[in-house]
Amino acid sequence: MTATADRATVRTDRTGFRAEVRALLAEERVRDQVTSVARLGPTAEVERLDVYGWLGERGLLAPHWPVGHGGRGLGPAEAAIVTEELTLAGVPDDVHVLSIDIVGTFLLRAGTDAQKRQHLPGLAAGTSLATVLFTEPSAGSDLAALRTRAVPDGDGWRLHGVKLYNQKSQFADVALCAARTSESPVQWHGISLFLVPLRTPGVHVETVPTMTNEQFTRVTLDGIRVGPEDVVGPVDAGWQQIGELLLLERTGIDFHGKVRRLLDLVLRRAAERGLLADPAYGPVLAELDAALRAAHALAWETVGNLEAGVSDPVLASMAKWYVSEQTRPVLDSALEVHGPDAVRSVWDPHPVDDGLLEAGFRAAPTHRLASGSSEVMLYLIATSGLGLL
Amino acid sequence: MSDAVAGLAELVDAELTPVLRRLGARGRGAGEQAPAEEDAQARAAVWGVLAELGVLDLIGTDPAGLLAAVELLGTALHQSPLLDTALAADLLGPAWAAPVPTGTRTAAVALWAAPVGGPLPSGAAGPAGGPDRPAALALAGGRLSGRWGFVGFVRDVSDLVVVGDGVAAVVDPGGPGVVTRRHDDVARGDLYEVDLDSAPVRDLVPVPDRAGALGRARLRQAAYLVGSCQGALELAVGHLKRRDAFGAPLAKMQSPAYRLAGLSARVAAARAYVRAAGGAGTELAGAPLAAGGDDVLAGAQALLLASRLAREVSAEAVHLHGAFGLTEACEAQLFYRRAAVDTTLLGTPTELGRVAAARLAARWSG
Repeated sequence: MTATADRATVRTDRTGFRAEVRALLAEERVRDQVTSVARLGPTAEVERLDVYGWLGERGLLAPHWPVGHGGRGLGPAEAAIVTEELTLAGVPDDVHVLSIDIVGTFLLRAGTDAQKRQHLPGLAAGTSLATVLFTEPSAGSDLAALRTRAVPDGDGWRLHGVKLYNQKSQFADVALCAARTSESPVQWHGISLFLVPLRTPGVHVETVPTMTNEQFTRVTLDGIRVGPEDVVGPVDAGWQQIGELLLLERTGIDFHGKVRRLLDLVLRRAAERGLLADPAYGPVLAELDAALRAAHALAWETVGNLEAGVSDPVLASMAKWYVSEQTRPVLDSALEVHGPDAVRSVWDPHPVDDGLLEAGFRAAPTHRLASGSSEVMLYLIATSGLGLL
Repeated sequence: MSDAVAGLAELVDAELTPVLRRLGARGRGAGEQAPAEEDAQARAAVWGVLAELGVLDLIGTDPAGLLAAVELLGTALHQSPLLDTALAADLLGPAWAAPVPTGTRTAAVALWAAPVGGPLPSGAAGPAGGPDRPAALALAGGRLSGRWGFVGFVRDVSDLVVVGDGVAAVVDPGGPGVVTRRHDDVARGDLYEVDLDSAPVRDLVPVPDRAGALGRARLRQAAYLVGSCQGALELAVGHLKRRDAFGAPLAKMQSPAYRLAGLSARVAAARAYVRAAGGAGTELAGAPLAAGGDDVLAGAQALLLASRLAREVSAEAVHLHGAFGLTEACEAQLFYRRAAVDTTLLGTPTELGRVAAARLAARWSG
């Protein structure tokens, strides 16, 4: 296989590609890192992992980016394979999703050549991190209600506002930030996207404790100046770009991997204890397994659309909604099959499975909220898909 | 998409679909009364069209194409010997299946040895019967005796295929020793009790992979039910858009809109499972999806998902039509009544869950 900048001419053996990624993630150094992450202290959080660098060295962290930008010139399918193998292997993927799947891939599509040269190589190598600053105290699902302002300052702007419920801002080097550049009676007009350096005066990052292993961050933008070179895409046209951007992350591949890992723990335990043969447990677990396989298949249909350059936001919304709705039933089954053992954290004197189920239980509510809440997904399906409301 | 499926997609359009949905319709308690002659002619004509389009050619040659075709027929709620003929082809092999594309060789498959009685508790001793517990066939001197229930279209096919433990017997459905009585089931369809009294057996065929054939049949049934879910959904959505209440279209109400949105996503997921189990996406993902490669698990899981949905979607479709949904004129009640039947003939969701659980247990201990 020859990687070229022209992805359309590249033919990849995806079975072989998946095997390559899986082999790297099965290496002892990666397994050791996964184990150490699972056993982090109660106030510690995953930052930059060596495994991202090991993947980046081989162009595997962002395989769908051109070779010149640190990728392999492959496509969305290979990117999805990497995301999937990461989550199945238990490698924390929030940094990967933010840096590669969202910010980096968006820059690749909409950024200037200078922006790509500045940011993509480091992101692809796993040596720099990016995050997203969209959500605000009064603007969650209704992003058009955001209040962060970009006040004109010469040929640039000064950003003023507060972003909340974001992730990894305390570790990231740069953020893709949405701010209002114009007032308009049409709420979604007048929003622009900026690349904002986070380790700079004018940007204050605080962590907000959560019940999960990942903290939120509160980022105060206190007049930090950004120039025209920091705008991504047309000024005032950020809303449409946000929509396209959210579609990039909305395949369900990452959520599926996380939930599949949890269900496999449950199935293994159930098999060991003979519960799969028990009529009270077996059929229920088999149906959960079926639903999760269906979610997986649907997620890959959305990847197929990305691969074919087809835009189908309804199918993407269906995929995200459906897979995220499997999380709670799977965790319920974990409680049923494991009993009280399921609630032992990794810091328990005798943790079970490194407390993955306990951590999963705490993280579960995020699945129905992140990347578009379940209600927003249903709204999109009802309106754009069924023509209702 | 194959030419056959493309041709079928053009055929199953908004004009023909309502006609297809009512083919074979009978009144409640119709008993042995056959539908009108015009109806029989129409059904024969449709079967001929399926042959002309090449849909029957898909049997045994293009499993993924057959799944797509069956899904389309499900949206039209089309009833025919197609699914049983496909199962028979799988059980009996290429020699039997060779004339199938012409439309002249068709099958009714007997899976439920009577008295049917429904599922048994795990590990319970008791009479065999049902797709997962085939009974030994009572054969003597090349003749077969016994009773089976819920055999579809047995009066309209060329071959009755009786599935036993490890073997299948082919009998002339119109031959000596064969008595059929129509079930009067909730869907008012073409299901029959079949009594065989020393009926001559044309052929006795070993069936080494009955479980696999059943799994593939379940996958096709799941495809059909996914199609029927889509048809029922479209009826419900269409009704919401047309019907006004409290000064606005029902389509503006959030409660039914969100319920239908969720159901449509679940239908999409079930469809994705069926297609993936038929091989779709394997090259894209670099690995089999769904339970690809394991026909037993895939068939059980696909049909389990689709069956649960079919019951839910069809009930929701009737409900959202209000009182009109209960009338004979409403198509939604056709889906509702059919769902009750079509979600049991190859095993109930609970039984399918049991089959899938056993398969998963074997995988996890293997």
